[in-house]
Amino acid sequence: MFEIISNIVAALLTLFIFSFLYKDNPFYRFAEYLLVGVTMGYAIPLVYTNAFIPFVYRPIFLEGNFWLIIPSILGILYTFRFSEKLSWLSRYPIVFGMGIVGMGVPMSMHSSVLVQMRYAMRPIDNINTLIIFIGTVSILLYFYFSKPHKGLYGKFTNIGIWFMMVGFGASFGYTVMARISLLIGRIQFLLGDFLGLIK
Amino acid sequence: MTFWEKIQEIDRRWIYLVVLLCIIIPLLIPFNSKTYVTEPTSNLYKKIDSFAGKEDKAMLLSFSHDASTMAELFPMEVSILRHCFERNIKVFTICFSPAAAPLMAYAINVAKEDYENLESGVDYCNFGYKPYGLFLPIVLGMGDDVSEAVDTDTDGRKIKNLEIMKGIRNYDDLNLIVDFAASSAVFSWITYARVRFGANVAAGVTAVMAADNYPYLQSGQLVGMLSGLKGAAEYEKLVDVFAAYEDEQNPDGREFSQEVIKNTWVPIMEKTISYTGDTEMQTDVELPYKFKQARIGMNAQSIAHIMIIIFIIIGNVGYFLSKKNNNEV
Repeated sequence: MFEIISNIVAALLTLFIFSFLYKDNPFYRFAEYLLVGVTMGYAIPLVYTNAFIPFVYRPIFLEGNFWLIIPSILGILYTFRFSEKLSWLSRYPIVFGMGIVGMGVPMSMHSSVLVQMRYAMRPIDNINTLIIFIGTVSILLYFYFSKPHKGLYGKFTNIGIWFMMVGFGASFGYTVMARISLLIGRIQFLLGDFLGLIK
Repeated sequence: MTFWEKIQEIDRRWIYLVVLLCIIIPLLIPFNSKTYVTEPTSNLYKKIDSFAGKEDKAMLLSFSHDASTMAELFPMEVSILRHCFERNIKVFTICFSPAAAPLMAYAINVAKEDYENLESGVDYCNFGYKPYGLFLPIVLGMGDDVSEAVDTDTDGRKIKNLEIMKGIRNYDDLNLIVDFAASSAVFSWITYARVRFGANVAAGVTAVMAADNYPYLQSGQLVGMLSGLKGAAEYEKLVDVFAAYEDEQNPDGREFSQEVIKNTWVPIMEKTISYTGDTEMQTDVELPYKFKQARIGMNAQSIAHIMIIIFIIIGNVGYFLSKKNNNEV
């Protein structure tokens, strides 16, 4: 019984959202606002159960780890964002967070710059590595703005534009594929789970 | 007004209607289409399969998405879990987003329905939802001791007391992380788990994110990648052809073979398990819908893509002819 009701609700909300394709309407806006509300309503108790109770309430009040009061206060400072006079206090936890992000900088440098560079510098022993070499160099030179893009140099940097266009085309193709996949998922639900037409 | 000018001004809602029909018709009238397996998918399959039956090797599935991208990611999650359950591979699951928690439990339940003897805490373990603020402590902590870093599973049991933890201590044993993401979450696993501890990382991503992740695949920082619904369809096929394969010589599945996968295709709409070259292997069991969902979806995807390509060609021809006519006038 629960499955039937949940399928009906899900199907109706799906159709409400799809109705936007015709034009904006109150059904679409109802479904949109409901999604925001339900997401927040679902997340708050889950975070309370999985974060506040095990990492704040239990260790401080039941186990007596009072040093955890310091990070808890730091966390509470975030709420001062809503006060005009005291909003500066919320910068302290943000600063602390930024410090933690900074910890990842050397590792990010390694994975996104150093390793990628190493693989871009491999011997040109086949057509693929040759294409990667030309693409990398021409795109890097395209973004070098201290020399005018004229003459032979300009022609070479134009090759970089072509490489980027191919990259954008691939990204766009993947985006189309992804959007169609999401539509397929909803249609599979409507025809299969809801109407039972797909076996 | 010429035909081409009319085409230029067509209401976009007609396009939506045609795309909708292109998707509905193949879903209602399904057909068998071949699925070709790409290298990133087969590499991930081989890596996971190398853990088969090993006490001291396990993998972690990280769910970093919500229901909006379920259409693409859910079939790959079910396929990988099915692979693990078929081949007796220890598997852990975790998520850092509240919205992913029910999807994770749902994927496990859907995949394990067909395996009666599976036991939580023995064959698989759901770490459950952990607040995102704990992402770094957990990811870095697992490099030293998984049971210390995660502490409890979704049922509140102490991780260190679970039977599945026998032989599993850190990333040396929990040697593969597959992140299912609709964002750049995979990058965090590469940055912290791979760079710091040398863990193997793979990705199951939405097609939108695939292009962003290819550089990491090319540089070997990702051991494999499933890209969108196509990646899910490929993995479904691999599990059918190898992990779920059964005969007298191979009662628990068979090893991956490039030759076999090249020559074998699995019709999805008949009670026929596979064709290897000209040899047809029959079975009385029809594959459940949940294990061929992505491949059925790919039928509709292919038709929709052809339609979109036709639209692009018509649109461009119309544009250039209209431009030419305007120039002549």
